[in-house]
Amino acid sequence: MATQHDVEQKIQQFRELFADAPEIGKKALENALHELRSQTSELPPPVESAGRVGARLGKVSELTIIVPLAPGGAKRLRAFLRLLRGNLSQGANKVGTLHTMRFVFFDNDTRLLFATAYDGDWDTYIDDFVAKIPDYLDIIDSSWDGWPGIRSPGAKDYLVKHQITAEGWYVAYPDLTVAEIQRLQRIGKAVDEFLDKIG
Amino acid sequence: MAQERETVADKIAAVREVYADAPEVGRVGLEKMMAELQAAAVDHAQQRAASAGRTGLRQGKVSELTSIVTFAPGGAKRLRVLLKLLGGNFQGADKVGTLHDMRFVFLDNDTRLLFATTYDGDWDTYIDDFSTKIPDALDVLFSNMVGYPPKGMRDPAIKDWIAGNQITADAWYVASPNLTVPEVRRLEKVGAVVDEFLDKIG
Amino acid sequence: MANSVAGDPSTHAPTIDLQEIQATVLRLRPAPYFGSHVALRINDVRAGRELLRRLIPHVDSAANWWKPASAWLSIVISYPGLEALGVPQTSLASFPEAFRVGMAARSRELRDEGVNDPKNWEPLFGNGQIHIGLNAFSDSEEKWRHVIATARAQYEALSGVSVLLVQDFGAQPGDLNSLGYKDGIDQPPIEGSGVDPLPGQGRPIKAGEFILGYPGEAGAPLPMPQPDILGRNGTYVGFRKYQSRVGAFNRFLQANGSTEAERELLAAKLVGRWRSGAPLTLAPDADNPDLGADPRRNNNFDYANDPHGRQIPFGAHIRRMNPRDTQLTRLTDVNIHRVIRRGTTFGKPYDPNALSEQDDQVPRGAIFLFISAKAMATMEFLQQEWISEGNFIGIGEERDPIIGRQEEGAIFTIPKQPVRRRIHGIETFNVLRGGEYFFMPSISALNWLANLSG
Repeated sequence: MATQHDVEQKIQQFRELFADAPEIGKKALENALHELRSQTSELPPPVESAGRVGARLGKVSELTIIVPLAPGGAKRLRAFLRLLRGNLSQGANKVGTLHTMRFVFFDNDTRLLFATAYDGDWDTYIDDFVAKIPDYLDIIDSSWDGWPGIRSPGAKDYLVKHQITAEGWYVAYPDLTVAEIQRLQRIGKAVDEFLDKIG
Repeated sequence: MAQERETVADKIAAVREVYADAPEVGRVGLEKMMAELQAAAVDHAQQRAASAGRTGLRQGKVSELTSIVTFAPGGAKRLRVLLKLLGGNFQGADKVGTLHDMRFVFLDNDTRLLFATTYDGDWDTYIDDFSTKIPDALDVLFSNMVGYPPKGMRDPAIKDWIAGNQITADAWYVASPNLTVPEVRRLEKVGAVVDEFLDKIG
Repeated sequence: MANSVAGDPSTHAPTIDLQEIQATVLRLRPAPYFGSHVALRINDVRAGRELLRRLIPHVDSAANWWKPASAWLSIVISYPGLEALGVPQTSLASFPEAFRVGMAARSRELRDEGVNDPKNWEPLFGNGQIHIGLNAFSDSEEKWRHVIATARAQYEALSGVSVLLVQDFGAQPGDLNSLGYKDGIDQPPIEGSGVDPLPGQGRPIKAGEFILGYPGEAGAPLPMPQPDILGRNGTYVGFRKYQSRVGAFNRFLQANGSTEAERELLAAKLVGRWRSGAPLTLAPDADNPDLGADPRRNNNFDYANDPHGRQIPFGAHIRRMNPRDTQLTRLTDVNIHRVIRRGTTFGKPYDPNALSEQDDQVPRGAIFLFISAKAMATMEFLQQEWISEGNFIGIGEERDPIIGRQEEGAIFTIPKQPVRRRIHGIETFNVLRGGEYFFMPSISALNWLANLSG
């Protein structure tokens, strides 16, 4: 628990930080100080490392990869994603640890953002994915410039090289894994049914 | 129905064509998966990713917002230290109540910021929510970006600025697309109550 | 007798080099079993190499491992031990990081926190002084004493080598472990090892997962230390010594079972097997000692008919250590997370009447020896995913009831109809007292090490 002194010190740091900010930022900071005071006086949720790279809050980690696309890679990947109507649930449901996943093309289709929120640490299950869904991964990743193939010993290094750890990471329910959420859904449904029956 | 299948066949042909000059791992992988992909493409249960409104994709009730913005002079440094000071504590986000996750990623030698979130509902409502509930917190964060409107979240140009920096995803996956943040919290409570109850009668 | 324990000799000749691989990698723990672990420190590089030279003639290979043998000796070497032998720097650098830094430095990855934290370990462990480990196994007391005396004659003669510990093990009535169970039943079947899998073991797993230099499940051999002669046919061995809190265990059974039958059923639900080794799947209502004693029957089951964990709970020890065909919550290939286990029991036998906290301190417990070509990575995965939590199998925060470190108020769930039974306040029954990662070189590698110069 931070002391009053710590809080005031932090407030001072904020002020100094925003000394050369645009007016709108400075004004907003003063307005927000009350909030900031209460925020910094509580134990902040510890943002941890997700292993080799990436940030984790509680059980939920972020993976943010930015890759250059190979020649023709954008075209290929777009066609593949169109085939699945932008819906990757077949493969992603199988994995079982993905909360969300997005593919975003930018910089005139020269680069791709691949970002997920997932359970646990970075490379715990990569060998399992290689064993179970190697082709899925290679169809997608082969659109990335320089991708050595998921079975290659260089695959993990490639991912690390292109992954950027987030400097801010927020999760609304950091203690719930995908499986736990689905379990809660089943319980909720069972409760509703039960209450319907006796209601 | 027949028309739908024809479209899938077209799409399959298109994918095969563009993958003809793919690296071998990709080409080989595609052929191995073809039967499964065909089934997935035809599967009516697979919902197409919908639009989240003005921009962005949505699956069920859950949408994505992904934007890449250039930092104003000194902005990267300010934002970095600010995020460190906050230490992952975004009470403002809790307050809004529709935000599943949010990340700030510094790109290209601190010249640009990736800001990506997962949120409930439609784009317009989401932005309105933020503007009315936590405008100052957002101004503190985003005043560090180039072209941020002078009046910030209260500026009439704010929605254009946000949309202008946003890039709609080409694929969007959500594990539980019909669960909003309040619904998850409700289920958490229900789960705890059920466990307590079962412990008592078990 | 040994034939039926190991499995029937295969119709196919072994495809791995049994003459090079040390015996302990493949030879099963005998029944009954006697043995010792000896920990040595090398104080002088030449003495260390001389020690190896003297011991090598007594180290057994895995040739004909499925046939009965009187006793066998194996050698393992830690990273500090390799350094003490003067192994060249380029070779040292080719070993995996976890092995190089040692088990104590991997406490975060192993989730060895709280009471299991290395700072609480016995003084012998965690500071890099264990260089060489000798393991002697035998099926008779006489042969054990003979083989250990032979080994002792070699190391005692050298002044540049110190004995840090001699830990005898086995010799337990009925070969039960310190909590009163028959253990060590399930082992991974290894392709090309020369025997067919026993019923229930599943399909043979690629040899390279367990022995360096052969293709693993993904097709290629796993990373191997260099030079080739040092790494090939070697493997890694993890060593974890646990103190069994027998009083706490018995108190737990007493508190949560009012009759002998209830207590034994609870004991079975914690492990997934009755004390005799009979699995609950095949003996749902009562123990069946004949079944427990028969290696052709006691492992011949799967979880196809137990999707809700009502026979063997999801959190039971054996279901965690080998989920088999259980539907896990996350995409997992169970075959790449197996280890060969050569666990041994030490100290006083299990005492069903031990109930006091003093009883928790009586030296007795398990020495868990686990072997694989990637033993460090596998143990760290098991500790993180299958032991210290239950997310992988849908039970949230729950931990392994036998080797998990339990927090205050920990829970163990026993699925049953109409309502599951959830027991609150399960304690840590096995406390970690020390451990280390070792390398088990091939016979040729041992010779290479013994003949290093410089």
